[in-house]
Amino acid sequence: MPPLTPPTRRTALGLLSAGIAAGLGACAKPAEELVPYVVQPERLLPGVPVRYATALSLGGWARGVHAIAVDGRPIKIEGNPLHPASLGATDVFAEAAILDLYDPDRSRTATERATGIAAWAMAERALAAPLAQARREHGSGLRLLTGRVTSPTQIRQIAALLTALPEARWHVHEPLDDANALRGADLAFGRRYRALPDPGRAETILCVGADPLGPGPDQIRFSRAFMERRRDPAQFGRLYVAETALTQSGVKADARHALAPRDAAGLLAAIANGLGAGLPVPDLPAETARFAHAAAADLTRADGRALVLVGEAHAPELHALGHWINDRLKAPVAYRPPDDPAPADLAALAADLDRGAVSCLAILGCNPVHTAPADLALAERIGRAGFSIHAGTHGDETAGVTHWHLPLAHELESWSDLRAPDGTASLVQPLVRPLYGGRSVHEILALLAGEPASAGHDIVRATWRDRGGDDFEGWWRRALHDGVIPDSATAPVDPGPARIPTLPGRAPVTGLAVELRPDPCLYDGRYANNAWLQECPKPVSKQVWGNALALSATEAARRGLASGDVVRLGMDGRAIEAVVAIESGVADRAGALTLGYGRPRAGAIGNGIGADGYRLATAASPRLLAGVSVEQLDRRDEVLRTQNYTQIEGETRKLFRQIALADLQDAKPEGIGGERPTLLAPWSGDADGHAWAMVIDTQACIGCNACVVACQSENNVPVVGPEEIARGRMMHWLRVDLYDSGTPDSVNAGFQPVPCMHCEHAPCEPVCPVAASVHDGEGLNLQVYNRCVGTRFCEANCPYKVRRFNFFGYADGQPYATMGAESVKAQHNPNVTVRARGVMEKCTYCIQRIANARQEAERDGRPMGAVATACQSACPTRAIQFGDLARPGDPVLALRRDPRHYALMEELNTRPRTTYLADLRAPNPDLGGRT
Amino acid sequence: MVQIFRPGADTVARLVLASLAAAPVFGVGLAYAYWRSPYATQQDVTREQPVPFSHEHHVGGLGIDCRYCHTAVEKAAFPGIPPTETCMSCHSQIWTNAPMLAPVRTSLAEGRPLEWRKVHTLPHYVYFNHAVHVAKGVGCTTCHGPIQTMKLVRQVAPLTMGWCLDCHRDPAPNLRPREAVFDVTWTPPPDQRAAGARLAQAYHVKSPDRLSECSICHR
Repeated sequence: MPPLTPPTRRTALGLLSAGIAAGLGACAKPAEELVPYVVQPERLLPGVPVRYATALSLGGWARGVHAIAVDGRPIKIEGNPLHPASLGATDVFAEAAILDLYDPDRSRTATERATGIAAWAMAERALAAPLAQARREHGSGLRLLTGRVTSPTQIRQIAALLTALPEARWHVHEPLDDANALRGADLAFGRRYRALPDPGRAETILCVGADPLGPGPDQIRFSRAFMERRRDPAQFGRLYVAETALTQSGVKADARHALAPRDAAGLLAAIANGLGAGLPVPDLPAETARFAHAAAADLTRADGRALVLVGEAHAPELHALGHWINDRLKAPVAYRPPDDPAPADLAALAADLDRGAVSCLAILGCNPVHTAPADLALAERIGRAGFSIHAGTHGDETAGVTHWHLPLAHELESWSDLRAPDGTASLVQPLVRPLYGGRSVHEILALLAGEPASAGHDIVRATWRDRGGDDFEGWWRRALHDGVIPDSATAPVDPGPARIPTLPGRAPVTGLAVELRPDPCLYDGRYANNAWLQECPKPVSKQVWGNALALSATEAARRGLASGDVVRLGMDGRAIEAVVAIESGVADRAGALTLGYGRPRAGAIGNGIGADGYRLATAASPRLLAGVSVEQLDRRDEVLRTQNYTQIEGETRKLFRQIALADLQDAKPEGIGGERPTLLAPWSGDADGHAWAMVIDTQACIGCNACVVACQSENNVPVVGPEEIARGRMMHWLRVDLYDSGTPDSVNAGFQPVPCMHCEHAPCEPVCPVAASVHDGEGLNLQVYNRCVGTRFCEANCPYKVRRFNFFGYADGQPYATMGAESVKAQHNPNVTVRARGVMEKCTYCIQRIANARQEAERDGRPMGAVATACQSACPTRAIQFGDLARPGDPVLALRRDPRHYALMEELNTRPRTTYLADLRAPNPDLGGRT
Repeated sequence: MVQIFRPGADTVARLVLASLAAAPVFGVGLAYAYWRSPYATQQDVTREQPVPFSHEHHVGGLGIDCRYCHTAVEKAAFPGIPPTETCMSCHSQIWTNAPMLAPVRTSLAEGRPLEWRKVHTLPHYVYFNHAVHVAKGVGCTTCHGPIQTMKLVRQVAPLTMGWCLDCHRDPAPNLRPREAVFDVTWTPPPDQRAAGARLAQAYHVKSPDRLSECSICHR
């Protein structure tokens, strides 16, 4: 290497002065431009949010939402109060869908496997020949593979296609489907009825492996009805949960039992025998038998108001027995008729592919190569199709094995329709033109059917034309405005008496039984490239950026494993590597792993994170693996969590107040400690007379994280990435803490959402040297970003640990992975400042919503109405109530006088504005009780 | 022994010491002066625009109301910049071939928006709301100056936080009856302070304490 030539003195000075000049020039204000419309849409106000009613799907089922757009940019999702599967609330997946829309990893063009980027016209030409051949042969080689379809338009299109080409077949693969439940209904009633339980009418509920309060398309409806009933202590009832590993339902249970999967049949048989089933007496562990006995007694007592729910992981026979028990108990369950036309399943497609019977395979909007059970070896089998196309929003694993990949438009970009689990239909309307040139699934189906190219809008309208009657335009506008189509729910049917199934024999213990569960953040893996969901702490384990094999401490000790050890899980010659996490409440000789991780082609955010459970699943038992071998590897990996890196011994009962139902009548409300002596002047309101406060009902909180992601979406909260999380840094303004006052074997846990307390005597304020942390007259504890110099004294002095520091420019300048892309910036809420590096931030009680409400009231000269924070409007169980202490009759005033009321760490004399209602449980004295 | 320092050296040393102490004070003063100077606030800077739209002609000469173009000023935070269509509602009839208006005609023909250069720029952490100010009796010319005399718009006020707070702490001198808000020729009556105070009460303008809180403008 030649020696570096040093610059001469003159050059060095020249460079220095040029640098200074350039630096000074950069200080000038950047020139900004104002770009008005050419033709302005009527009634559109610049910068003012507009709400559109639409629907988003989860596993094919609709959740009605209001999508909020500012100047044509969708920025936020809220629930649609008129929709039966939303009821005005959302879940994590709906909240995070807005980020998916802007995902820079979405596919932007049609691509051909060999030649790469292509135009839509080329894809159409390539499709013409195989389609023409299929048409000549009445569709004999044509196969259509979709996820669950509830869209009436899509069903109409597929039915028309199958009528025109009678030899063609339609297959459905939904990774987290209800196949076992439907087969169970077939065994019990002779038809595949879909059961929709009504927890609002059920006093005693027993879940055997079921997690109805956990992630899924029915989560909002179920948890709302369940918690609304529980608001009345007289109707509190009791929830029994027997499950492999702790779920959200397990946390909320009044009696919970860690049940080995192989004992589920025995538990259900014991319950059924209590109702006169006369099944062979099962051989159960003593604890399980005691649990079964107590549950059976309670269920029988609540005849007509009792309900049994069986988890999807369990065999169809168990579901059939569940149906029989519900029939006997006259349980509040509505049955809905099976789908029509009934599609074939994935195994049939695999067989057809093996026979070489598939000349043209079209995969629409699903990713079977990742989500199909591994023994179907779909990646290899799809290669046997003569011609294959895949339409999806991302160039995912399936796109990697088909001949063509077509970009699919996002649900917020396309016209469609969807049904809720109760059959209620909604119209799906676009908020923006497709950002990346995608087409809707209806437009692609029209292409496959060889119909002239027509817009999705016309295809959807054609479906509903007859329904609208004479005034179709009026009907259509009404349906679009409301977000639901009136009277479109399917009427429940009477399935007739249920039969008792023959139960399978009790499997012998071989290896570890692993339950594969829906991930509370990624669902089935479709949201793997969503950074908000990757960084959303899982409700129970609080793990982020990955999944882990949950084992009990006993099981781990037996196998010589510690938390963080990497193990190889083997099954039928296939193996995956997963990290071990020791969790409370996991059954003996069992483990649990969530699905959706370990994706090789998710995108820049989701690639290669965690372990892929699908690689062990089999078509026969896709969700429950018996006899998994566990081999310890000589490697350790970190389980990233946002809680539990500090243990608070003995404080749980003080921080998380729990009351047994029987003690409720003696309970007294605990105040915020306003009577304690203090050196500070008491808080006095201002002339405007608002005093904002929040009360959070920990009894109603199901830990679903909808509030956490809603806050992130509303307040431009950045993602920090796994490396920063490993350093103990996170940015969520609202976290949901899990408290467990039980033991690892007997969990007694609950959820506590913790936003800023907006203390009247806030410890963060006097320590700030630059007065960046100040109070306003309405009682808000403000953080003034442009004053903050980043000393972090406030964070150190905050006893609730709710302040978050921008160690780097997470939102601005140094974003994680693709989070700084121009398209992602379009999601930002224009009414909230994007915080810079070196600045402290925290929950503001959604000050922008308060300010907007105030300014609108001021503008119109009327008193200010109620304000809903983002977390409050997202909450499925209405656990969060925000209001004004100075307004007579405000709901928060009544909640502050509730006997369960208490404040967090009121002994510190902080006088928090955010307060809590204690957790309420109804333990069964026969099971020793809890709390 | 030869003296190294001359008798005047003491004075020089004292002067140097004094200026060392004074330099930071001067520096801070200079920085303050700089930030408040029109050079830093971009006050009175006239910017080139794609079309030399004259408020002097349209407002002062023709007497077109502010709200004809800035339609959202009474309803939203942002007053609204007129779409090309608004310009063409008149200019499709008059001055149809004026070369000066060529960009406007091209904009409508090609569906491409005009790109105006922003004159009044606030930092991004400031959330100013036009509708509320208008509703409370703050006139357009109070902040935007004699717009009816400007050939090209310039920023009259410094738009510094101190300038905003001057009025938030004492709004009375700057309030006028609601019906005069858009009157560009309005002049304050001799008893403006008393009249303004009456208006502040009538329009429920918040107390100076409340109006000078951070959360009023920052989020």
